[in-house]
Amino acid sequence: MTPPQPPSPPPPEPQPGRPAGRPPRPADGRPGAHRTPRSRIRQAFADAGVTGRLHARDIDTGADLAVAADTPVSTASVHKVCLLATLYREAEHGRVDLAAPVDIPAAGRTPGPTGLGAMCDAARLSLRDLAVLAVSVSDNTAADVLWDTVGIDAVNRTMAGLGLTRTTAVQKVRDLYAALAEDAGDGGAAALLDPARVARLRALDPARTNRSTPRELTALLAAVWRDEVCTGAYAADLRRTLGTQTWGHRLASGFPFDDVRVSGKTGTLPTLRHEIGVVEYPDGGRYAVAVCTRAAATAVTLPAADAVIGTAARLAVDALRAP
Amino acid sequence: MDLLRHLRYFRAVAEEGHFGRAAERLRIAQPSLSQRIRRLERELGVRLFDRGSQGTALTPAGRLVLTEADQVLAAADRLAAAVARIGSGAAGTLRAAVPPHLGPAAVAALITGYRERSPGGELELRELTTTAQARELAAGTLDAGVVRHPCPAAGLAFGPVLHQPLGALLAATDPLAAAGARLTAADLNGRALVLTPRADDPALHDEVLTACARHGCTPAAVHEAPGGDFTRALVLSGAPAGAGGAVALLPRTSAGPGTVWRPLAGEPIGWRTSAAWPADGHGPAVDRFAAAAHEAMRDHAGMRPARAAAVHPRPASEFPL
Repeated sequence: MTPPQPPSPPPPEPQPGRPAGRPPRPADGRPGAHRTPRSRIRQAFADAGVTGRLHARDIDTGADLAVAADTPVSTASVHKVCLLATLYREAEHGRVDLAAPVDIPAAGRTPGPTGLGAMCDAARLSLRDLAVLAVSVSDNTAADVLWDTVGIDAVNRTMAGLGLTRTTAVQKVRDLYAALAEDAGDGGAAALLDPARVARLRALDPARTNRSTPRELTALLAAVWRDEVCTGAYAADLRRTLGTQTWGHRLASGFPFDDVRVSGKTGTLPTLRHEIGVVEYPDGGRYAVAVCTRAAATAVTLPAADAVIGTAARLAVDALRAP
Repeated sequence: MDLLRHLRYFRAVAEEGHFGRAAERLRIAQPSLSQRIRRLERELGVRLFDRGSQGTALTPAGRLVLTEADQVLAAADRLAAAVARIGSGAAGTLRAAVPPHLGPAAVAALITGYRERSPGGELELRELTTTAQARELAAGTLDAGVVRHPCPAAGLAFGPVLHQPLGALLAATDPLAAAGARLTAADLNGRALVLTPRADDPALHDEVLTACARHGCTPAAVHEAPGGDFTRALVLSGAPAGAGGAVALLPRTSAGPGTVWRPLAGEPIGWRTSAAWPADGHGPAVDRFAAAAHEAMRDHAGMRPARAAAVHPRPASEFPL
């Protein structure tokens, strides 16, 4: 396999003191052209100040590329993909009605910076429209209505049925945030920037929160794209929904091409930045990618850590596409 | 069968994805390696690899074994290290580290403070970057450390985080050194900055540059220097250029001949420092080290409890603060 050309970096976020023309400096001093895709992915993670884990698979050939892909990770909002896959599977089996309207009262909503969590008044939406909100803006209230509808057990059964035995949900979004608030303590928001406190958050420990591995997450996406979770119109609508995400700062930033489709779902908690998704090229090539990172910095705004998810995904997909 | 050795062979093949490359790395013949892997498969009663024309891939059972093997081998390494230390009479020694630029007064106070708290306890102290400390703490070759944040936190616990303001180390001939006025970060805009090497601790390097930008200082160039002497040399060598000389950002420090240190008004840029140890186990010696380090940094390095800053997360941050 010939080493792929370095990806053009994602649209450069303005980085103080690092003019765009400054070449990356490999820590080992070796020129980049001689390094393997995996070592270049590891270097990109280190350069962005994160610990990164990645799995990429060609959905049709099964060829894959793995960097620490079997390490359990706290999934955060990435688990919404497991939730939606289960919702559509349940719908196909006639156990839920996707068009059924649900009342969402103003009170008692799961907190969140977007969607219903940020809105004030009572609303009524169908399950499939709540699913769109849960993907497009990672709406936590919408996601919890869906969690309440299908249940944690059904989601775990669906994953187990797909052979994903290390993909497990143990809590809904509201429980996750309650644990986060409890661990943050009196300091409130600012406490989540304190490195000593962040290191103690249960939400970051895969043993104590919703979890999976990068390899299992790409297996899930591949199953969705191969009609193995549900079929026909259900599968098409599930994939359409997974393609509605608004954010472009992570996975999509690595593929700045109008003719390439990126369907992704992010997950974020203090120091954790993930995205899993499917990248589809016009020649028919389709690749499931999962990138899970943990930054050393506790800063909430960290463009380099977001962008390296796209950079690493691109390196992996280019390697899988290399002749 | 020597299970540990076979697991090490297995892990090498899993990591390389290729028997030939793994054999090369292990410095053994490939047929011998293949034979040992087959033996391990017989012993465990599962197939670990799919050996195809395209290479070697882990089977699902192989992936499970790999996860467990990592833990078994890490535990074996810790056991071997512990036994070796008992054998060499070093079991009572705390292996610890401090980051560069902590300052001689603080390091001396840390050593003294630990001795006072821990009569008879030996302290083996090294200077290591934060990233290196995080790696060694995880590997079990370091018991405790003093790290700068951002520090990779997986598997670690930290003591209270202290804030240490950075100032400007200038050539004595620099016009900014002569100015009696209070120096601001914006005064350094367009200068060349001397910082700790990015490769050592990328997140720290970037965080300092982000803080500079936030307070009006975008440097024309960034030079990297690992230690005090080299830092001073870069500052001195930039001096003849007049207004455009290089400036190092360092905590209050003994300036040395030809240079002066000036604080920055409002203390906009700083380093955050704390004790660190493995989250899954620490004894009284680590507690004593953490207490001694905290006191030494507070009393002898001008560090104070970190201030809580305002935080305005963007919606894409996804979680409520």
